[in-house]
Amino acid sequence: MSEKRIIGIADMKLAKVEGMLVTYALGSCIGICLHDPAIKLGALVHIMLPLNMETGRKNPMKYADTGIKETLRQMEAMGARRDRITAKIAGGAKMFEESGGALGNIGQRNIESVHLNLKKEGIRLLKEDVGGSVARTLLFDVSSGLCCVRCYGRPELII
Amino acid sequence: MAIKSYDELNSLELDTLREIGSMGTGNAATALSQMLHREVRITLPEVRIMGYNEAIEWIGGPEEITAGVLVKLSGQINGIMLSVQQLEFVNLVLDSALKKKIKDYSELKELESSALVEVGNIMISTFINALSGLAGMDVKLTVPAFTVDMQGAILAVPMAEYGGQSDYIMTIGGNFVCDNKQVPCRLLMSPDLRSLNALFRKLGVNDE
Repeated sequence: MSEKRIIGIADMKLAKVEGMLVTYALGSCIGICLHDPAIKLGALVHIMLPLNMETGRKNPMKYADTGIKETLRQMEAMGARRDRITAKIAGGAKMFEESGGALGNIGQRNIESVHLNLKKEGIRLLKEDVGGSVARTLLFDVSSGLCCVRCYGRPELII
Repeated sequence: MAIKSYDELNSLELDTLREIGSMGTGNAATALSQMLHREVRITLPEVRIMGYNEAIEWIGGPEEITAGVLVKLSGQINGIMLSVQQLEFVNLVLDSALKKKIKDYSELKELESSALVEVGNIMISTFINALSGLAGMDVKLTVPAFTVDMQGAILAVPMAEYGGQSDYIMTIGGNFVCDNKQVPCRLLMSPDLRSLNALFRKLGVNDE
C-alpha cells in the first residue's frame, strides 16, 4: 500500500496520483473525500461542526461549510475541475443515546450541512456511510478513489 | 477578567481547577472504594487544556476501544462529564461486582454494561456533589448514557459540543490506583466557558 497520511480533527490533506488518506475515529464528525479522477487528485477533510459562525475564522476545516469551500479552492488551484470532482462521505453518528436529547444531534446536523454544501458547490455525492451510532475510521485511496470504512464490531465496508 | 478561551486561564485559575479536580476525584475514589471493597487512591489530578488532536493522543490513540459513560451537566454549571473505562478498569469492576473477567468488550452483556454505567454514574455524581457543595452552585445531572466504541469518537463528543467556542478542550480529572496498581480510568469534566467564569466568580478567584 502506498504512503499513508493521517488527517486529524478539523484538518485537511491533499494527495496527488497516489497515496492513502486516513482519518481515525469519526464520531459525530464527518470525513469528506473529494476526488478528481481525471488528474487523480484527492482530498480528505475532517469536519466537526455544521456551520462556521466564529468570528475571526482561524480554522476553516473545523466546519462543513468553510471546510468544503476551502478544500475545493485548493483542489482547483492544483488543476482540478469542479465538474469532475465527486464526493464520498462517512461519519455523522450519534455516539451516546441519552434520554431527553440533552446533547442534541450534532451528527445529523453535520450530515445535513455537508449534503447542502456539496449541492451548493455543485459536487456530486457518489456514496456515503453516515448516521447510526458507531465510530468510523475512513481510508481513502487517491489513485482509485475507493474508500474503506472501518468500524468496531462491523465488517469493513468499501464505498 | 472573564476568559474567552480555555487557553487564557492564569495560574491561579488553573490551581483552583486542580483543587476541584483533586477534591472531586478524591470523593469519587472513596465511592469507588466502597463499591469494590478495595483500597482505591488517586494519582495527582490533572487540568489539561489541549488541542483536539493532542487530546486524542493523550488519552491513548483514536482507535482504541473503550467504554464511556457520559453525563450532561446543567443548571448553574453546564458541561459534560465522561468516565472513560479502559479494559483493565472494566475487569476490576466486573471482578468485584460480578466475579467475572472479560477479554474483549464484545463479551459485555446487559448486566455487565449496567454495572459499568452504575459505577461511572456514581463516580461522576460524587465528583459533582463535591464541586457543587464547594461552590454553592446547583448542578443537575442527566441520566447516564453508555457506549463502547473508539475512544477518539467518545472524546470528540465534548469537543463538538463546545467546538464553536474554542479550539481547545479543557479536562479536569485523574487516574485511580487500586491495590497499588495504576488502573487507567479517566474521569473527565469539560465545562463550558460561561460556567467556568461563573465558577471562578463564585469561588472569589475572579476579582471583578
